[in-house]
Amino acid sequence: MNQWLEDVIAHADTQAAGHAGATWLSRQRALSLDKLKDNAWPTRRTEAWRNTPLKPIESRPALLSPMAISTWQEPAIPDFESIDIYIVGGELKTDISTLSLPAGISIYSLHDEKAAALASQFMGKIKPETHVFGLVNDVVADAGIIIDVAEDAVISTPLRLIHTATEGVENHSRLLVNVAKNAKVTILEHGIGEQESMNTSVSEFNVADNATLHHYRFAFFTQKALHVGGCHFQIGESSYLNSTIVAFGSELSKLNVDVNYLGEHAKVDMNAMYLLAEGENFDLQSVIEHAVPNGTTDEKVRGIIGDRARANFGGRIHIHPDAQKTLAELNNRNLLLSRRSLVNTKPELEIYADDVRCAHGATIAEIDETSLYYLLTRGIPRSKALVMLNFGFIQELINAIEDESIRNWLNNMLSNRFQSMEVQVS
Amino acid sequence: MIDELDLALDRKYEAGFVTDIQSETFEPGLDESVIRRLSTMKGEPEWLLEWRLKAYRSWLEMESPDWANLDIEPVDYQSISYYSAPKSMKDRPQSLDEVDPELIRTYEKLGIPLHEQQMLAGVAVDVVFDSVSVVTTFREKLAEAGVIFCPISEAVREHPELVKKYLGSVVARNDNYFSALNSAVFTDGSFVYIPKGVTCPMELSTYFRINELNTGQFERTLIVADEGSQLSYLEGCTAPQRDDNQLHAAVVELVALDDAKIKYSTVQNWYPGDENGKGGIYNFVTKRGIAHTNARISWTQVETGSAITWKYPSCILKGDNSVGEFYSVALTRGRQQADTGTKMLHIGKNTRSTIITKGISAGRSSNAYRGLVKMGPKADNARNFTECDSLLIGDKCGAHTFPYIESRNPTAIVEHEATTSKVSDEQMFLCQQRGLDPEKAVSMIVNGFCKEVFKQLPMEFAVEAGKLLEISLEGSVG
Amino acid sequence: MLSIQNLHAGIEDKSIIKGIDLTINPGEVHAIMGPNGSGKSTLGYVLSGRDGYEVTEGSATLNGEDLLDMDIEERAVAGFFLAFQYPVEIPGVSNMVFMKEAVNAAREARKQEPYTAGEFLKLAKEACKQVQLPLDFLKRGVNEGFSGGEKKRNEIMQMILLQPTICFLDETDSGLDIDALQTVANGVNSQRDPNRSFVVVTHYQRLLDFIEPDFVHILADGKIVQSGDASLALKVEKEGYGFLGINYVEEDV
Repeated sequence: MNQWLEDVIAHADTQAAGHAGATWLSRQRALSLDKLKDNAWPTRRTEAWRNTPLKPIESRPALLSPMAISTWQEPAIPDFESIDIYIVGGELKTDISTLSLPAGISIYSLHDEKAAALASQFMGKIKPETHVFGLVNDVVADAGIIIDVAEDAVISTPLRLIHTATEGVENHSRLLVNVAKNAKVTILEHGIGEQESMNTSVSEFNVADNATLHHYRFAFFTQKALHVGGCHFQIGESSYLNSTIVAFGSELSKLNVDVNYLGEHAKVDMNAMYLLAEGENFDLQSVIEHAVPNGTTDEKVRGIIGDRARANFGGRIHIHPDAQKTLAELNNRNLLLSRRSLVNTKPELEIYADDVRCAHGATIAEIDETSLYYLLTRGIPRSKALVMLNFGFIQELINAIEDESIRNWLNNMLSNRFQSMEVQVS
Repeated sequence: MIDELDLALDRKYEAGFVTDIQSETFEPGLDESVIRRLSTMKGEPEWLLEWRLKAYRSWLEMESPDWANLDIEPVDYQSISYYSAPKSMKDRPQSLDEVDPELIRTYEKLGIPLHEQQMLAGVAVDVVFDSVSVVTTFREKLAEAGVIFCPISEAVREHPELVKKYLGSVVARNDNYFSALNSAVFTDGSFVYIPKGVTCPMELSTYFRINELNTGQFERTLIVADEGSQLSYLEGCTAPQRDDNQLHAAVVELVALDDAKIKYSTVQNWYPGDENGKGGIYNFVTKRGIAHTNARISWTQVETGSAITWKYPSCILKGDNSVGEFYSVALTRGRQQADTGTKMLHIGKNTRSTIITKGISAGRSSNAYRGLVKMGPKADNARNFTECDSLLIGDKCGAHTFPYIESRNPTAIVEHEATTSKVSDEQMFLCQQRGLDPEKAVSMIVNGFCKEVFKQLPMEFAVEAGKLLEISLEGSVG
Repeated sequence: MLSIQNLHAGIEDKSIIKGIDLTINPGEVHAIMGPNGSGKSTLGYVLSGRDGYEVTEGSATLNGEDLLDMDIEERAVAGFFLAFQYPVEIPGVSNMVFMKEAVNAAREARKQEPYTAGEFLKLAKEACKQVQLPLDFLKRGVNEGFSGGEKKRNEIMQMILLQPTICFLDETDSGLDIDALQTVANGVNSQRDPNRSFVVVTHYQRLLDFIEPDFVHILADGKIVQSGDASLALKVEKEGYGFLGINYVEEDV
């Protein structure tokens, strides 16, 4: 076992002895701690981690004592007229009791006994964590919130959870969202950090019958900010999930996204983009479980991979027996910007029902020569033309974002980032 | 003439059996002494024995692959006999009456002549006159062109320099679990060498080496196409083959030197087992070719048999401008499981590969495509196009697609597409309205679905492959 | 303005243009006709600098500058505009952004201040109206999902915005119905100017009814085999290329 995991387990043991937190939380932590102790550390031979080198985490101690500072700087993030909740250095920094919330929405801390019913129904149940980092999050994430959106509530103000990595302390955060029947809400998860740190953030979402969730997850962990995250959704009958995922990469950055269809006639639109600058790694694994008939999934994943950057994508669509009339499509497109870039992509279809329409596609391609020629004949300088063409590829997904302020901000931010990336295709 | 016939028919006997051990079958079990004994009996040179032993030692260190999508009873390697002399005439069925009537019915449907039925069913027949004459004329023709086509054990003796140079050069001894096992214990198989600039005057087929049909479970094939030569090789028969071996772990190596072209077509329909999947054959084959500059390797396969199929005919596109192709139809029914696909490893510049697969799942079967496309850092302007289509018949079967794609070159283009569909009610309605019974309608639709692959097969093969699908689909409808 | 002398060019080892001499003065309209495969489109590709097209002999200058020595985008900035026979679709890159970049690149070369977004939008809207395209086409991806006619109008809109000095229109009439043809021709005519010249490549006389040429050249097997005034085009329309001794059957387009 490595130092980091040993530290984590020692910390969790101490915590368990001290009986910290709500009863349901202690119970869940105890369960996960047992599993964690039995769980093997992934190696390069572990299929799910084959292309995700864990070296950066293996060689460091775990730093789990919350940051003892009372003042902290708000990270530079845009103003969206949202309800913002900050988790910094493993601590909930926003006093949620003082937030003015619209009717129909309740927010609890992880330690709030009032959330017990909700938590025991969903927390850790939507997709029980099976890998080491998920279990670590189970046992050490102390900072987190539980959001309950009541039946029929339509919440127009987005809720934003900002988790910020800070140097010298790890940031483990947890989110549980229940969107009850007929309710509608927008949740934005904004993860950010570039200092040397380890971060995990696991989120679970229950989208009940006929409910709508617009979800954004930004994983802007760069440089030495290591991050392993999970986003797990279960969706009920006639519900709608629209999820936009945007990621940069760091020495270690991985995100698992799971969707379980529980009710028929539900629909998922999922758009994910990763823009990896020089030397960054990012790994995205999505699993869509069509367990019931009449579900519709449209998943688009686009990536731009800079010099010496490595991208890994796995996208699995699993159609269970009897999940008839499923429509599922997954499309992954990648661009390498240099001879030292690397992409691994593995879209998977696993189908056990016959009356379904499923397709997946993956491409890895250079810039289309004809398009480039066309731009050049209009007098656009070559370097700019390359940027435009490459970015056009991501732009399609940005354009699909419904919220105008988020769309515009992402558009500017990503195009600036992209323009700073060098295109080295001769 | 009679001498020549004997020669043609008895090559196996000639290939190193000594009279006193002619009818010997080894006791089940595998260790180094078994390999030594096997090698001695085949009169092999020292280097080949060493090679086998090294393979065996690597095999001991390896673990049997554990694919998520195959449900396999573990194979007990100590319960297999690693050498069995050909069955003597008296051990075989004495006439077709003793053979499973199901099998005979299938042969009749395929329109297979009586004597071939006997052969395929393993009936003891002394001489098959028609085939022998074919064998003779075809041997003469090949010799004129300088083509070598013989059992690999004969090649070891007659052309040791070629065998030594190329054996294991594409599929390394320790490449995978089954190829290591094969390398240690292979008993026979085919060897082909096409000299520089020669276009092989005919399609070579194991069919012409009928007497070699029961070469056992560890067949080894090595095909070398020298610079600028061309060859089309057909493996297998279009009729179900009786076989006593449960486990087949063959290795096929293709070497296409500069500007050479090899087309390798397979129709595989080993016994798939009864409807509960009992008694069928496990087919774990390693097939790989290496293409040098401007060379082309094309794999076409139609897989309808075996209880479990696990094979990935692959191309190493080493030379600049080399081309790899893989066309596959895999049909599974009953409780069959197939996990098949290809690997295209692009190493040279301007290399191109095409992968077209058609998977048809019926009954309670499971049919998976698993493929790897890899673009190396030097594979400038390389291109891959992959299309995997699945057709499901019935709601108890599975169809899966697992492509692995890796690129390290920004100028390389990879495109992968996969779709899945079922035989639509509209298609069925149209066919039935035009007077076709449902079974015929399905087989027609399936044939249409596979057309892109069938047209890659040599003509007669394609026709028979179509018929074979029809027979395999019987009882899958309704 | 544009001077082409003894131009030989081809693709890979295949020679396509086999010695073209052509001088185009400011304000002139030249029509180029000729059978399929005679090298009409290739001439446009060679003059615009498309990769893979190699000049083996001869020269081409634009206002005295060596056109063939410039990169594709430099030629564009210098005033050479190619209207594509098959305009390219570029999903995700908005038409508006695309044209603003192009126009500002030309302005920068002329040491002019780039247009602001507001200024450009105004110009773009006018141009859009002029070619009778709905304004939302500015927001859409370049030619993305446009019909054949809409793509051709978009080409003319770009020409109007870029204000080039020489416009090479490669079969801009192909695939257009009569109304669209009229719109495209009006767009072209609105740009006729004593300082601007046009090369109009076409198979059909009917375009020349709308855009009246000063000169007509017949291109066959990579060479100009006959030149004349507008009446030459009428003759081709009536008699085909047979009178030139070219064994040619007009294909259905």
